[in-house]
Amino acid sequence: MRDDPSVVALVARAAGSDQDAWNELVERYAPLVWTICTRYRLSSHDIEDVGQNVWLLLVEQLGKLREPAALPGWLATTTSRECLRVVTTAQRTATRLDDAPEFAADVMIDEEILLAERDAALRLAFAELQPSCRQLLGMLISDPPHSYSQISETMGIPMGSIGPRRARCLERLRRSDTLIALGTGGSEINTPGGGPGA
Amino acid sequence: MLDGWDHEQLLAALGEAVRARQAVPDSFIDMGKGAYAWHNIDAELAQLTYDSQRDRHSAAVTRSETASIRALTFTSAHLSLELEVTGSSLLGQIIPLRSGTLEVQTRAGVTTTTPVDEIGCFAIEPIPDGPFRLRCHTADGDDVLTGWITL
Repeated sequence: MRDDPSVVALVARAAGSDQDAWNELVERYAPLVWTICTRYRLSSHDIEDVGQNVWLLLVEQLGKLREPAALPGWLATTTSRECLRVVTTAQRTATRLDDAPEFAADVMIDEEILLAERDAALRLAFAELQPSCRQLLGMLISDPPHSYSQISETMGIPMGSIGPRRARCLERLRRSDTLIALGTGGSEINTPGGGPGA
Repeated sequence: MLDGWDHEQLLAALGEAVRARQAVPDSFIDMGKGAYAWHNIDAELAQLTYDSQRDRHSAAVTRSETASIRALTFTSAHLSLELEVTGSSLLGQIIPLRSGTLEVQTRAGVTTTTPVDEIGCFAIEPIPDGPFRLRCHTADGDDVLTGWITL
């Protein structure tokens, strides 16, 4: 994933003057920044401050990143550093000190980076599916998931066809270029449900 | 990475990915997109290095007499901006001392300009209601932008 060409291309375009490329980077990686902030248990006000600083620092660094493919890592490290600054300066009362997050920051950050890359790839692959697959899978992953009878009614398809359609759509998702590119990366991540993103 | 996964796992991972995005407020995303307005602005970012409100605990020992005054310091590679809230105005000084101009920028994009005198002092009045940031152009060519400030 570290040599994901699309991230490199987005960074290069954003380093020019392409607002769309920048927006895509933000859409893709804002969840990473957000998740790390919530791991540090920051207030929503502090999360906003950290977010501002992280994106501004990135804007400043766009043309200077030595390894644009490693952007998620850069974002995670920068966010973590900004969070730590807020946490450290906020530890002015004993109560807040007691509440200080207890986790191994480095381990957490590595997991968050892998998860963020996987999530971003999955969302991208999902967005590229044909509308009928997006609709079907969207109803299956909604919380709570739609029942087959609800899906049958909404989509106007027979209940018996939902299982095979589901399998076809998931196969298309798996075979998308984005996920195949992801597959060449690390394999250290937990299966869903047990990971830190659960 | 996903090769060994069955459809259940793939679907669960997709659900997690979509929910991770949904958990992020739109305002947070918009703010990130808005940061691009600062692209190609040749200003150096100054970080908040002291905030009396945050650092009150440690400051109480040495600065007890001024504990009620909100004071902030922003530091960049070339200069510091020291700020103090006094009543309805925000007084500040550029360290090392030099003249220039100071812009006050709000998130809504409104900018007002204030002169900085020869000993680096400036006054901002009234203090903006919402978040704002300061951009300082010194007479000798430094261009420094602070992080967002809410008072």
